[in-house]
Amino acid sequence: MQTFFNMAKLLRSLRFIDEKSVNSPRDYIYNGFEIFEKPENFNEEIDESIDCSGMMASRGWIDLRCVTAEPGEEHKESLESLGELLAYSGFTKAVVLPNTHPAVQTKNEIQFLKTKSEHWTTELIVNAAATKDCKGEDFTDILDLHHQGVNIFGDGLNPLSNPDRLMKVLQYLQKFDGVLFDHSYEPLLSLFGQMHEGEVSTRIGMKGIPNIAEDIAIQKNLEILRYAGGSVHFQTLSTGAAVESVRKAKKEGLKVTADVSIYQLLFLDEDLSGFDANLKVVPPFRGKEERAALIEGLKDGTIDAIVSNHQPQDFDAKHMEFDLAQPGMIGLQTFLPGLVKLSDELDWPLLIGKITSGPLRVLKVKEMSLSEITVFDPSETWQYDKRSNLSLSANHPWYGTTVKGKVKFLINGERFVKL
Amino acid sequence: MSQLSTRHLLGIKDITSEDIRLIFETADNFKEVLNRPIKKVPSLRDITIANIFFENSTRTRLSFELAEKRLSADVVNFSSSTSSVKKGETLTDTVNNILSMKVDMVVMRHSSPGAPHFLSKNISANIVNAGDGTHEHPTQALLDAFSIREKLGDVMGKKVAIIGDILHSRVALSNIFCLQKLGAEVMVCGPTTLIPKHIASLGVKVEMDVKKALQWCDVANILRIQLERQQIKYFPSLREYSLYFGVNKKMLDQLDKEIVIMHPGPINRGVELNSDVADSEHSIILQQVENGVAVRMAVLYLLAGVR
Repeated sequence: MQTFFNMAKLLRSLRFIDEKSVNSPRDYIYNGFEIFEKPENFNEEIDESIDCSGMMASRGWIDLRCVTAEPGEEHKESLESLGELLAYSGFTKAVVLPNTHPAVQTKNEIQFLKTKSEHWTTELIVNAAATKDCKGEDFTDILDLHHQGVNIFGDGLNPLSNPDRLMKVLQYLQKFDGVLFDHSYEPLLSLFGQMHEGEVSTRIGMKGIPNIAEDIAIQKNLEILRYAGGSVHFQTLSTGAAVESVRKAKKEGLKVTADVSIYQLLFLDEDLSGFDANLKVVPPFRGKEERAALIEGLKDGTIDAIVSNHQPQDFDAKHMEFDLAQPGMIGLQTFLPGLVKLSDELDWPLLIGKITSGPLRVLKVKEMSLSEITVFDPSETWQYDKRSNLSLSANHPWYGTTVKGKVKFLINGERFVKL
Repeated sequence: MSQLSTRHLLGIKDITSEDIRLIFETADNFKEVLNRPIKKVPSLRDITIANIFFENSTRTRLSFELAEKRLSADVVNFSSSTSSVKKGETLTDTVNNILSMKVDMVVMRHSSPGAPHFLSKNISANIVNAGDGTHEHPTQALLDAFSIREKLGDVMGKKVAIIGDILHSRVALSNIFCLQKLGAEVMVCGPTTLIPKHIASLGVKVEMDVKKALQWCDVANILRIQLERQQIKYFPSLREYSLYFGVNKKMLDQLDKEIVIMHPGPINRGVELNSDVADSEHSIILQQVENGVAVRMAVLYLLAGVR
């Protein structure tokens, strides 16, 4: 990775994509701060001319859900490795979940994250815990944390399943128009569950997590939203009924948004027949019908964003019996290869919208400047292995395989990063 | 065919109906051996087998050990009532430590579904699954089907009702796969809370009324209530279970036909099965136990052949 500061570049034959269209190849100028189409009579000096034939570019990508294991389990992912990973994976902004040890719940942890990410190319957006230690009980000092610049609250990997707590957080956040991020599911209906409940779980004798664990939680939380007001963002939807509930709520005008994990769109429950613990995730991979409903939700705008849901687990946390292994999958370096696979089914403008304008809506940011740009090659292949892996963990089933799609450059303001 | 299509017996799902028939034919021969005055054959001499049991077991471990000894294998036993990971050692470490002592085959029981599959990807020895959590118990299903074949002549076309705690039963799943591969019809019966919601997707009938199940079937395989595997409450009390789902002699007398009663053991007498049935002429429970040794001898002998 090479970072250049305030240096002018000419990017030749680059196809720019936004949420509406893919432009034909054109030349662009990066002037050391932002990019623009090269004017016909452009005579200013540039430091480097780069052939971008075959490459695509869009506004910088935004990930609404990734985990750092620092502090607490730095051997799985440190803030240093996460910063490098995010840049390599094409993200100029990323929401980092509060599930560290200690959880992100006081000014100290927020200051720690800010200090550690100062040198990052990617802007770290803090999702502070809504309740202490993300346990769903006592509130954190929400207003105090907001004065440290935090607008997103939620317990990250843990659902805020106590309806009273959820209602009060929604009410409390209204003072500054904050957003509650929640991965909603009913824990009592997921007890001891290891994977999606269906034919496959029955066949392999594994305790299942039924769709209704999520369906009921989304319905319940939407009722609370209807009563209490405020804004909620549902993370990592996995069922058709949940998508339908969000669709209706949006039509009704409730302030609700939603996202889906990229790997939820790439794997199914039937992939778990071989007991590969790398495929153990929450929410679990579900069946074809649920996946089709998620795709439909992306197409009609019910689902606003696609997230990496990057959850590092080290070898020892995964290399064991399936029911004893920790859940989670990393998803940053494989994010673009995942998009490339999805591009057979969903067009590029739609996919790009889900990682640019869609997340911006969720974050309540009106416009993104042209100073954040991701340039990528959707057809370049590379070996995803020990040498190329930038994460401290390797819990992804594609690890050790050849993948397609590589991020080439990342622009964030005065930084131009060659990857 | 004289060889199995696999080098491990991880589950009935993973073997073919030809494999099952080969195991039965081989078990026929070993059953004859077991009735001789000298019950031992030298087939697995110089083969070392480790019985690794991470869950309590009496009859399965004993049955395997007898089968191994009657085949002249060298046998080592390792038992622990908790998973090795809870003691701070991983499953692969535990097993590799044992394998370092030059063990050729591993018979393993474990509380985690898929544990033998995981192990098969990480060690070189042949593995026989002696029960993995709520997943499979392949040798039990083989001995059950072998016993049906012995009693009724064939498994093909027979109606078998599996009654009881289907949700927590590895015996039920393996039996379903095995009986279907051999052409039997299968029904499961029990309280709805103990029947997996999607069990019908496996092609079995589902019944909640025990009397109707008994009337339908040729063979009733009564399963044990797995209180040790039930992490939460699934029915109000053993008394109520016994009253509404237990099988007694009166129920059998009301049928217009004779049916065969099976149970994988150990029986909770007075809960899922009354003594007047367990000890009756309908019951082939002890023949199942006897056949268990012959079937396990066949499995070990045939797997040794594909080493």
